[in-house]
Amino acid sequence: MATTPMAAVDENGQSETGAVVAEAISKLRRKERVRRRMDLVLSVGTPIVLIILWQVSADAHFIDPRIFTPPTQIIRAARQLISKGILQKDIGFTLARLLVGYVIGVISGVIVGLILGLVRPLRSAFSPLFAALYAVPQIALLPLLLVIFGIGETPKILTVVAVTFFVLEINALAAVRNFDPRLIESGKAFGAHKFKLFRHVILPGSLPSIFTGLRVSIALGLVVITATEFVASNNGLGFLVWNSWQLFQPDQMYVGLVTIALVGVILTGIIVLIERLSLPWLVRRKR
Amino acid sequence: MGFQLARSDNKSEFVSNLNKETANHIGAQKLSKVFLGGGGENVLALSDVNLVIEEGTFVSLIGPSGCGKSTLLRILGGLDTPSTGQVFGCSDVITSSGRPLKSAFLFQEYGLFPWLSAIDNVAFGLKMAKVPKAERIERSRAWLSRVGLSGFEKTYPEQLSGGMRQRLSLARAFVTEPDVVFMDEPLGAVDPQTRLLLQEDLIRLWEETRKTVLLVTHSLDEALLLGDRVVVMTARPGRIKLDLKVDLPRPRNVAITSEVGFSELRTMLWDNLRDEVEQSLEFS
Ligand SMILES: Nc1ncnc2c1ncn2[C@@H]1O[C@H](COP(=O)(O)OP(=O)(O)OP(=O)(O)O)[C@@H](O)[C@H]1O
Ligand SMILES: [Mg+2]
Repeated sequence: MATTPMAAVDENGQSETGAVVAEAISKLRRKERVRRRMDLVLSVGTPIVLIILWQVSADAHFIDPRIFTPPTQIIRAARQLISKGILQKDIGFTLARLLVGYVIGVISGVIVGLILGLVRPLRSAFSPLFAALYAVPQIALLPLLLVIFGIGETPKILTVVAVTFFVLEINALAAVRNFDPRLIESGKAFGAHKFKLFRHVILPGSLPSIFTGLRVSIALGLVVITATEFVASNNGLGFLVWNSWQLFQPDQMYVGLVTIALVGVILTGIIVLIERLSLPWLVRRKR
Repeated sequence: MGFQLARSDNKSEFVSNLNKETANHIGAQKLSKVFLGGGGENVLALSDVNLVIEEGTFVSLIGPSGCGKSTLLRILGGLDTPSTGQVFGCSDVITSSGRPLKSAFLFQEYGLFPWLSAIDNVAFGLKMAKVPKAERIERSRAWLSRVGLSGFEKTYPEQLSGGMRQRLSLARAFVTEPDVVFMDEPLGAVDPQTRLLLQEDLIRLWEETRKTVLLVTHSLDEALLLGDRVVVMTARPGRIKLDLKVDLPRPRNVAITSEVGFSELRTMLWDNLRDEVEQSLEFS
């Protein structure tokens, strides 16, 4: 249709123009559909190809199958772990620690971040301190926590709390500090003062930044709990990986690694889903 | 012009002088405003401003960029406080029914909340005023259709065009049935053709409702077309330079901008404004 001169469209009247437009739209739609199908094929196909390559090269001893356990053997090991109930139990332990720590960290981080954003004296007092503490890798706190609380669940959960708290605190604080002053003025102009201003303007406007914090910190929390379980636990997915290494059972180690990756993907997916549902205005804008 | 301001240094005297005339005027006397600049450099935005806006009048405010128009509007609207002088704003005026005057605002950048749908944006002020939900929705829906946005109730502001957003913020301002409407360059961000249409909408709306309006604009035509009075401000620090009564008959429409009487007024306005605009450019 690119060759059709504009004048011809005008002379042929409205119905003709309508047909041209309809054709252009369906062309765009077709293009978009092809692109989407391509995206899907690539995103699913690439890992499958890599796994097959892995299997083939391990079978052919291009790579050492004792270190790079071929996928079929990993699946066998996973079946065994599941039938003994070990994998389920380890998933349960890790998830419980992660989620308890995450929820505590999120709630306290959001509340503290919002308050620091709103109350200047508190911000002056605590914001630099928290920024400095955030720079310390939270996992480095573990020995100290073990000294204070002994080897129990508390220090493990607290490492997750620490990392989640700081991410959410920083994101919530930034959201309030960088808030569009025109929207605050608009809120005040239409009768939202003090708590109402917070509840109906600042809070909803800060949610995108808070959700970014939720997404980032669930991944960081998983990293931290895995590392904690390496050294200070005798169950959980981190322990499974570490213990398999010590017993030189790489097949089980791979099961642990793949499971941790899947847990991360699923948890992040859940948060993204909640974000889409609670911030429909943002999702639509991105398109 | 029109209303003579009583000179006094004391707020209650100023207030009672205003009240003697009629109740629901708003105004400012000997108003000045200083902003603390970032680099230790202070800005005197307004200096010794005297202005009274009578009930039911449409006042256009015009002046060079940076002369303090928005500042004056925000102070009169209660969104900011003066450094010195007296303000007699909406919250200071108690109507015969015993409540303070209600105000509403139209902003250049719309100030719509991106997380609220069109109808929730319109209903925002009502919600803050604790109007029951059913009534809120009904009134908002009525105003949406009045500004030609029926069918867009569930649409978010980001998905609307500039002109539609401005009509949305028009609905948001008028749905609360305010006594006074403050408009800060409400049509500054829309294209010229849409602007003409929206100007006619504004004229119609105002002639039907006869609210007290303060309109800040950079357009001479718009100031004259809409206003009962056009107030011209000097370059910064802003003072009132001229207060012009616009004796054009109502109902008005955009066609009058080509009439002789209108061009005479415009020429006179421009004569007064020109020096100020030049001066404001020299400083910046
Ligand atoms: N919050 C603020 N802090 C510091 N300076 C300010 C602030 N608000 C306004 N000013 C200064 O006060 C002066 C008047 O600003 P104002 O926004 O009232 O001008 P204006 O007449 O509305 O200009 P324009 O026509 O460009 O909108 C400007 O010099 C501006 O830089
Ligand atoms: Mg301005």
